[in-house]
Amino acid sequence: MIDLTKKAGFGLAGRHRAEKRFKWVGRSAIAISLMFLALMVGSITLTASGTLRQTQIAVQVDLGAENVDPTDPASASYGRLVKSGLRDMFPDVTSRREKKALYNLVSPEGSFEAAKLVAKDPDLLGSTQTLWLTASDDLDLYLRGKIDITLPQNQRQISDKEVVWINALQANNQLRRVANWNFLTGGDSREPEIAGILSALVGSLYSLAVCFALSFPIGIGAAIYLEEFAPANRLSDLIEVNINNLAAVPSIVFGLLGLSIFLGYMGLPRSSPLVGGMVLALMTLPTIIIAARAALRSVPPSFKEAALALGASPVQAVFHHVFPVAMPGMLTGAIIGMAQALGETAPLLMIGMVAFIVDIPDSILEPATALPVQIFLWADSPERAFTEKTAAAIIVLLIFLISMNLIAILLRRKLETRF
Amino acid sequence: MTDPIITARGVDIFYDTKQAIHNIDLDILPNKVTAFIGPSGCGKSTFLRAINRMNDLIPSCRISGDMKIAGQDIYAPAVDVVALRAQVGMVFQKPNPFPKSIFENVAYGLKIHKITTSKTEMQDRVEWSLRSAGLWDEVADRLDDPGNSLSGGQQQRLCIARAIAIKPKVILMDEPCSALDPIATAVVEELIDNLRKDYTIVIVTHSMQQAARVSQRTAFFHLGSLVEYGETKSIFTNPTDERTQNYITGRIG
Amino acid sequence: MSVRTTLTAAAALLAIAAPAIARDQIQIVGSSTVFPFSTTVAERFGKSTDFKTPVVESTGSGGGLKLFCAGTGLDTPDITNASRRIKSSEVELCASNGVTEIVEATIGFDGIVLANSIEADQLNVSLRELFLALAKDVPNGDGGTMPNPYKMWNEVNADLPAVKIEVLGPPPTSGTRDAFAELAMEGGCKTFDWIKALKKEDKSAYKALCHTLREDGAYIEAGENDNLIVQKLQANPAAFGIFGYSFLEQNGDVVQGSVVNGVSAEFEEIAAGNYPIARSLFFYVKKSHVGEVPGIAEFLSEFTNEDTWGDEGYLADKGLIPLSAKEREAWAAKINGLSLLDM
Repeated sequence: MIDLTKKAGFGLAGRHRAEKRFKWVGRSAIAISLMFLALMVGSITLTASGTLRQTQIAVQVDLGAENVDPTDPASASYGRLVKSGLRDMFPDVTSRREKKALYNLVSPEGSFEAAKLVAKDPDLLGSTQTLWLTASDDLDLYLRGKIDITLPQNQRQISDKEVVWINALQANNQLRRVANWNFLTGGDSREPEIAGILSALVGSLYSLAVCFALSFPIGIGAAIYLEEFAPANRLSDLIEVNINNLAAVPSIVFGLLGLSIFLGYMGLPRSSPLVGGMVLALMTLPTIIIAARAALRSVPPSFKEAALALGASPVQAVFHHVFPVAMPGMLTGAIIGMAQALGETAPLLMIGMVAFIVDIPDSILEPATALPVQIFLWADSPERAFTEKTAAAIIVLLIFLISMNLIAILLRRKLETRF
Repeated sequence: MTDPIITARGVDIFYDTKQAIHNIDLDILPNKVTAFIGPSGCGKSTFLRAINRMNDLIPSCRISGDMKIAGQDIYAPAVDVVALRAQVGMVFQKPNPFPKSIFENVAYGLKIHKITTSKTEMQDRVEWSLRSAGLWDEVADRLDDPGNSLSGGQQQRLCIARAIAIKPKVILMDEPCSALDPIATAVVEELIDNLRKDYTIVIVTHSMQQAARVSQRTAFFHLGSLVEYGETKSIFTNPTDERTQNYITGRIG
Repeated sequence: MSVRTTLTAAAALLAIAAPAIARDQIQIVGSSTVFPFSTTVAERFGKSTDFKTPVVESTGSGGGLKLFCAGTGLDTPDITNASRRIKSSEVELCASNGVTEIVEATIGFDGIVLANSIEADQLNVSLRELFLALAKDVPNGDGGTMPNPYKMWNEVNADLPAVKIEVLGPPPTSGTRDAFAELAMEGGCKTFDWIKALKKEDKSAYKALCHTLREDGAYIEAGENDNLIVQKLQANPAAFGIFGYSFLEQNGDVVQGSVVNGVSAEFEEIAAGNYPIARSLFFYVKKSHVGEVPGIAEFLSEFTNEDTWGDEGYLADKGLIPLSAKEREAWAAKINGLSLLDM
């Protein structure tokens, strides 16, 4: 008789169990990956949150006419003025050592900030003004409770005297925390309290722009030629094998190539995004070509056939019909290549982009660094406050990556033709 | 009898070493519908595709012999294959409109061959093609819709409209109705009959009944050879070759 | 493709035009130890003058000197930092490429510390004991050598703790490793008289014996990232790490320096010259570039300013051990006067 129940035999119990097991293995794999992802992003975000705000200290600076020439305010020695302002706030500090510690409450950038404040608002001149200047990184760390006061004095970055002064400042409301815009608008610095990501961000943008401008047209063109027009002979096979191998070459080799040809033979400027972009383009080309060829192969041949039967020339048939349909796949390949290029430091090392560069580059010919390089340099610095900056830079890099992917998805949606 | 528009003499077609077509002699008459019939794998599609040199796309395919259209050898080196295909159109078995709008589909041939000189001229021609294909009434209000939003039968008529827009001399049809339902098939067959006034049509079909309905001349292929060729009526009522007889009565095929 | 031709044309034009593009930024390469100090001065210089901020790369002392000695063109660096003195072979390389006018600058000292977690006991060790603990081959007591048999610190000297020998240090590419080998290892090695005598007889054997660190797992190459070493010491209180003084200063709440030869790793001791593992830091300038690249002379004057490299200067805040006042005066005169290197 026909038995349709579960006990019908056919090894059903074991098979159903295996199905259930596999489903749970899959679910737990996804759960574990998500957990690790959440852990990583969570811990980085937590560490980076310290960069969101910076501490400022109110200093009474005498901007009277004998200190600052009203006709040429930029010529004044603001460093000296800030120091004397601090001394006036704490008149019982006399010894050389202690005075130095007092001056160190304000960031070394303080004197430059004072000059900028005066330049922006000349009405401040002529009297003693309260200027809010960036505090030192150690002061900032102490205020946020990151320095353990219970340790003996020689084991921490803040001395007992400094703790007394900071507490006094706080009691007089002479300390405040403000949003740290400097991180996004400023360039690199040795002082963690004012270090910013802008020069690295602009450098990365320029390099990626050059990389895309070079690798996308050349890569797509090469893929179209190899896939649609090249004769099927030994030479084409050789080219295909070589392209596949190049995709696996360690990226530093391209850096060496860039060093010897672009810097050495062509004499292009060192550390420039132009050379960085060219080296990254070399590295990304194989990825784009391989992805583009796969996209072209996935186009149903019926369109090309119909076009040819209608009397289109081969180039017309490919560019009017095959290429638009393959475009979304090609774009995906290009974005994967760009994302890879964004995170590379090894090729940039050889051409001089792993460097301390403060000024924001104005063009692709000026020295610049890149986001992953900035992260690497900051991770290597001794100052404690740089760990937070490193985490924040990683967040910026992740946001950059996600934005690029979003743009790719939007572009794909727009260009995708339904067929 | 009028001069044939397409003449084939001693045509052999090979795929690498395998010979698919053996020594075909054939004349296609103008403004007539000629049907190629025969069992699967007999080479009728291969021979059809040799007429507009679509076999060139297959690297392993070789052809020898003489194939002339309007007295010119189409395989001569001086022949521009693009010009050939502009004058010999093709409709495929599975409807394959471009992934563009209905208007763009029909206008594509006009654009690449630079046939029309103004926008209004192009619009007129597109309308004319769609009317000739019997599709205008159904799509006039949605010319910007994608070509593949139409039903199967409509898509095939769109492909026919696309082919006739450039006013070719010959239209080759490779089993155009095999993917369509009976109603759509009937519509396309009626269209073919109307088109015969202005075009020479060669149609490959695996349905003998269709050949009987639609064509004036029929060629029966078997295992790569042309077995019998003549008036459709006499092929079906009075075949001379035994193989033809067997195929028509359903004994083989 | 017209795009491709445009781009090739653009690249070709740049190739021709490039030598004509004058560089207005100072280019500095060299040691990763001098990097923090060089960059600080560069940043201040850029902010307080109208000159562009110099671009500073961390390529390592050897790598920097190689780039520096590659030629005199503007596509070569202007200044190279080094955590050791330039070698005569490098001077020859420079000369062979046309770089004959080199200005030498000594900027201060750097201390190399042997640190461990503050949770553990501080180590009090001599250079001799350090050599015995870390060398690949050690004296066997009969005038010869044997592979290092010591697994615990108290096997080297009973006064040392009963802890497994585990030291995280720089890889062979690092200048800090070279300096450690020369100052600490050799310093301990030559306390053995017969090895000291060996120096005159067979220099290469002497060097091999004194500089080679053990490879059996007691000495672990922990990469160039000193922050990572500090983290590892926090996780493993029994381990020791080798890195520069500035990292010790910044992380004084979690690590402590060992006492070496009775001297603790403190600022004053290193400055006074008492701490045995301390080395000078240098940079070298191409005289021919002064004037061609704007700002080099002004950069040198900023570097040699008392507020910069003096006892109360901002480089001392960063962990640089300053030269003595007299030495600073002498060097400032030499550097700003662009007096040439004399090996």
